[in-house]
Amino acid sequence: MKGYRNYFLNKLLWFLVTLVAAFILNFILPRLMPGDPVAAIVSRLAQGMSNTSGVQAIYEQYAEQFGTNKPMLEQFVLYMRNVFQGDFGFSFSQYPRTVADVISSSIWWTVGLQFPAIIIGWLIGNTLGALAAYRRGTFDKVLMPISIFVSNLPAFGMAVIMLVIFAVTLRWFPTSGGYGFDLIPNFSWKFIWSVFIHYQLPFWSIVLITIGGQAIGMRSMSIYELNADYVKYSRLLGIKDRKIVGYVFRNAMLPQITGLALSIGTMVGGALVAEIIFSYPGLGSTILTAVLGQDYPLISATTLIITLMVLLANFLLEIAYGFLDPRIKAAQAD
Amino acid sequence: MLEVRELTTKYITRFKEDIYAVDHVSLKIEEGRSLGIAGESGCGKSTLALSLMGYYFPPLHYTSGDIIIDGTNISGMKADDVRKSILGREIAYIPQAALNALNPTQKIIRFIEDVVKAHDPTVTKDEIYEMARGLFESLGLPAEVLQKYPVELSGGMKQRTVIAISVILRPQVLIADEPSSALDVTSQKMVIKMLRNLMDNGYVKAMIFITHELPLLYNVTDDIMVMYAGQIVEKAPAHEAVFDPLHPYSKGLMGSIIVPEEGLRDVKLAAIPGTPPNLKNPPKGCRFAARCKYVRPECRVQSIQLRELENGRSYRCVIGEDELRELYAREAE
Ligand SMILES: Nc1ncnc2c1ncn2[C@@H]1O[C@H](COP(=O)(O)OP(=O)(O)OP(=O)(O)O)[C@@H](O)[C@H]1O
Ligand SMILES: [Mg+2]
Repeated sequence: MKGYRNYFLNKLLWFLVTLVAAFILNFILPRLMPGDPVAAIVSRLAQGMSNTSGVQAIYEQYAEQFGTNKPMLEQFVLYMRNVFQGDFGFSFSQYPRTVADVISSSIWWTVGLQFPAIIIGWLIGNTLGALAAYRRGTFDKVLMPISIFVSNLPAFGMAVIMLVIFAVTLRWFPTSGGYGFDLIPNFSWKFIWSVFIHYQLPFWSIVLITIGGQAIGMRSMSIYELNADYVKYSRLLGIKDRKIVGYVFRNAMLPQITGLALSIGTMVGGALVAEIIFSYPGLGSTILTAVLGQDYPLISATTLIITLMVLLANFLLEIAYGFLDPRIKAAQAD
Repeated sequence: MLEVRELTTKYITRFKEDIYAVDHVSLKIEEGRSLGIAGESGCGKSTLALSLMGYYFPPLHYTSGDIIIDGTNISGMKADDVRKSILGREIAYIPQAALNALNPTQKIIRFIEDVVKAHDPTVTKDEIYEMARGLFESLGLPAEVLQKYPVELSGGMKQRTVIAISVILRPQVLIADEPSSALDVTSQKMVIKMLRNLMDNGYVKAMIFITHELPLLYNVTDDIMVMYAGQIVEKAPAHEAVFDPLHPYSKGLMGSIIVPEEGLRDVKLAAIPGTPPNLKNPPKGCRFAARCKYVRPECRVQSIQLRELENGRSYRCVIGEDELRELYAREAE
């Protein structure tokens, strides 16, 4: 157990360090963007106003409210305190909505879309990869080129292809949104059906991208494991093939978990892009509007939330990995 | 006990080429005896060991011949019957790469459970544990090993654990493929002692021991068989195989062992010059002809049969027994 505790503490430490770094970066980066957002808001509000001192007054009022006229360090301290209170301030672009409000109305769309899509893509991809390694032959020859092709498509490429084929040409699914724009969210069957229909294209484009990458990795890991000496030895002791495939699957899966931990950031990034293409009402679209509207607080908060989710997923995966692979414990105990 | 007649097996490579790595091999072991198999790397020793199990999986395929164990011919049996009633029970195998022979993510006892249950699903875990603990302790291995993962064991311990697991079902015949070659000298000695122990205490009734380290073989087994390019070139009791080899290949191979033992010369004999033939299309005549000092024109014409001598020895060469001894004597002067 000592080995695992060391491993756990080590991962926890790194988790905390990256967390702090994430906070700092998330605060600074949006503020380095060119342009003065308060000036932008004011110029929108003040369109048609000819009174310069009136415009000036509005400007100062907003600058005071958002804290953009204070020194950076002070802004940061303020920001950290607010973050821990769950208070991200007002959104510039969707004023007078608060950032917390904007995020809480979009985050569940993203969680509901990406978690299932990445997990299902990962499971299907690994199963297909293991089968390709085990069965070889035609299955392998068909699956692999497709996987390689799919996994090399950029995320938006897949989304655009799905969109053109299934929404524009075949008209099987709607082109955009999370539900019909003429509906008000409620628990009627009509609404749930609309959500379900709108879910399909973004969901499957993320699943497909994930499958491609996972299947390739799992196939080569499984081929490697199938040639391992323990497979031959187990066979010659009379253990059934089905059981041996179980050993191989488990062992080939372990590096795939680390692989998932490493690539989950990229995957989420890709999935956010897919959301944008389907105008899905999740964090991806929120980020886009935030960037276009130079909405500091919203950009900072959404990227922070996404970073936190990715870091947490990563941390949990590594913790699970330590449990599943006894080699970790042995290596850390030395 | 175990009799093998004219067994031939081949590898089929990715490019659909056939490699006959075991070519018409016959052998016989009586109860209580052990047989050593020696030969250069790549001559087919491991393939022979695998082939003797009667259970083939790609790229290795059965071609012809019989394997008879305790009166049952297993070459005609269905693969799943061989798996269930022969593997581990009648014939057990210790792999060449025993250090990697255990699944890294499984505790030793879990693997033993899988092995036992593969043959008899009705045995309970407690029974298996008692069985394993008894066996490990009687072989001088601590019972704690059972609760460990392979990574937590040292090389020598892993090797001995693999040996113990191989005999958990009390097989009649044990085939050990280079069980000690990857170890240091102390661990090697322990492994050899353990294998002898298995024979002496009746855990196994007969043993086949494969190695390229001849000094080891001479001290461990009753008989020695020399392989060259997939064929047997000589079979003899251990002492005769070492001190009176007949086939020119055995002579070259054995040279390196008698020299230090008799203290005649302190230089090791040079390795046999040249390389073994490619098994994809072996030469028509004697497979050793290209490297043989005593080669004659008739050697290259047709394949050479194994000659059976009256005292039970046999060797594969066109030159007579006495003539060979004379040639070797003249060479020594
Ligand atoms: N999986 C395989 N596929 C194709 N050919 C193989 C395979 N394994 C072995 N061979 C070939 O079969 C021949 C015999 O190999 P084998 O492993 O039995 O030799 P060996 O005598 O055990 O050698 P070593 O002393 O190195 O263990 C070699 O020519 C080798 O190239
Ligand atoms: Mg070998």
